[in-house]
Amino acid sequence: MKKKVLNVLLKLLLKLLIAAVAFFVVTFTVYIFNLDMKATSLLAPYLEKWYDKLPRKQYI
Amino acid sequence: MKTVEKIVNPVKRAGEESPGKIYNEKLKVRGRREWRGLKDTLYDYSRWLYLISVLGRFIIVPRNVKGFFRYRWMMSYLFVPHGMDKFTIGLRDEALRIAHTSFNFVIADVTQAIANCFRGDRRVGNDKAYSDKCVITDENSMVTFMMGFDKEKVHTILREVPTMFASNIFHQFNVMHYLDIAQQYGIPGDVCPMPEAEAGISIDDDFCVLGCCAVQNNTTCDGSLMGNGIIAKRLEREYGIPTFQLATPLRHKEPDVLEYAAREIKKAIAFVEEHTGEKWDWDRYFAAAKRVNDATRCRIAQLEINSTPYPQFFGAAFSLYNDTNYMGNSGRDPQFVKIDHKLLALAEQGYREKRMYAKEYRHRAIVWGVQPQYIIDQLYWLLQCWGVMPLADMLSIINTDMIADEDTPANREQAYRDMAMLNMEMIMRNHTHGGYKVLLDDLWELCEKMNADMVMMWEHMSCKALTGMHGMFEEQARERGIHIMWVSHDLCDPRVFTRQAIRDQVNTYMRTVMREEPLDPSLEVIPDSEAY
Repeated sequence: MKKKVLNVLLKLLLKLLIAAVAFFVVTFTVYIFNLDMKATSLLAPYLEKWYDKLPRKQYI
Repeated sequence: MKTVEKIVNPVKRAGEESPGKIYNEKLKVRGRREWRGLKDTLYDYSRWLYLISVLGRFIIVPRNVKGFFRYRWMMSYLFVPHGMDKFTIGLRDEALRIAHTSFNFVIADVTQAIANCFRGDRRVGNDKAYSDKCVITDENSMVTFMMGFDKEKVHTILREVPTMFASNIFHQFNVMHYLDIAQQYGIPGDVCPMPEAEAGISIDDDFCVLGCCAVQNNTTCDGSLMGNGIIAKRLEREYGIPTFQLATPLRHKEPDVLEYAAREIKKAIAFVEEHTGEKWDWDRYFAAAKRVNDATRCRIAQLEINSTPYPQFFGAAFSLYNDTNYMGNSGRDPQFVKIDHKLLALAEQGYREKRMYAKEYRHRAIVWGVQPQYIIDQLYWLLQCWGVMPLADMLSIINTDMIADEDTPANREQAYRDMAMLNMEMIMRNHTHGGYKVLLDDLWELCEKMNADMVMMWEHMSCKALTGMHGMFEEQARERGIHIMWVSHDLCDPRVFTRQAIRDQVNTYMRTVMREEPLDPSLEVIPDSEAY
């Protein structure tokens, strides 16, 4: 019984470790290659077009 | 000419030697992030994760998504990590931690300010009960008149900070649209682009609309007076938000203006009481005054560290934190105290370790004039490329006097004068207005105190406050043997001076006048003028 619980715990720990490593690898790759900002800079021109289309009540 | 001892860094920089390699002319952002050695890269990565979490927590709120798609300036906040990277180039050890601790806190504060704006905004959150307890103030305004109000009950909304000032830090082209709008409606292009952009935002109907009242301040220049008029007109006539004009004397060193300025503060407080229905609380005021004094003591200690051969506080991130703490906070939020002491502890540690942040320190410079250094990475670049250590900048040289912080009948009257003094000596007004003493004499005193041999003089093309003094600066610098390096810019309009055009003025001065070669030639020309 004890061995079974220990096995389950070990498997859980292993899964957590794999998840943490995967999280680190993915986010660190995004960080170091600046992929977050590269993706954002691709999005920006479309957003500008969106804002241009919005109706505004312009006056001085 | 005055010279300072050249100090060579005995420690080799961890990670990559030259940050010039991270720029990529084909992209509007950097090609990759800097490798700072394992320890500092992991630290920088952890702060990047923190910033992503701050942005993530903001955008999962539905009304913030609605606000994001309503307001053009919100696009800048996609580039927050890009802006943060701008303020950490070449940094390691304590300086990297100081930049992150100070600026990450500012980012979290601005994010909260945007969330507050959207909550009360008639177009987005439309929380009327909340909006009825909000007081709108200018971006370039001291909030001392709010120090005695409960910040949980009366909310101070510096509406122009997230809309114009902070958004421009992350995206250099962000305000060009608003400048064009203002000029389409006949505003001349030769005023400071900062208030002009704010006027443009109002004309373009791109400010959040909230608040039970507003307090405007005659800030520093013709541009801000003009912009305030346009903004107040819309606030009062279209949105029905009464606006108080806090008229502050500009000749703030003249003792006879103080009583008048104190009366103005009293009137502003009475105005806020009338419109919010909340009462001024002296216990709250004096508690905030103690925090103001604590921040002042920390600032004096920071300057003392920077006057040694091993300065630890430099760059735009730190001065932005100072701006936020001094003007936007004014002792109201206790969280700033913790950050102040953390920053000081980091600096003291760096000083004990004799930590240096470039290969050599060749010159010690005071940065003076109206500065655009929030929009470009000039101060870090100056250090990394040319070994010129920026010791202090004009906007961070603010009040060093203590204010009354014990609640007595006499101190309650003194408190109005203290608030008035802080308000008159707010950032920008304290040196660009007030006469010869604050603009010229203070500079030379500072050069002496900080042992500076050089002044990097920002010359803002559209700022009339300083242009008339050009000759006097030249003449007096020559008398004192101080190198004065003029660097022209047009603040937040990069079409007038690009980032490289700004840097080229330094490159030319350092090569031709100083006859020096760069410490890091890869940084002399950086292809980032088209980058956000």
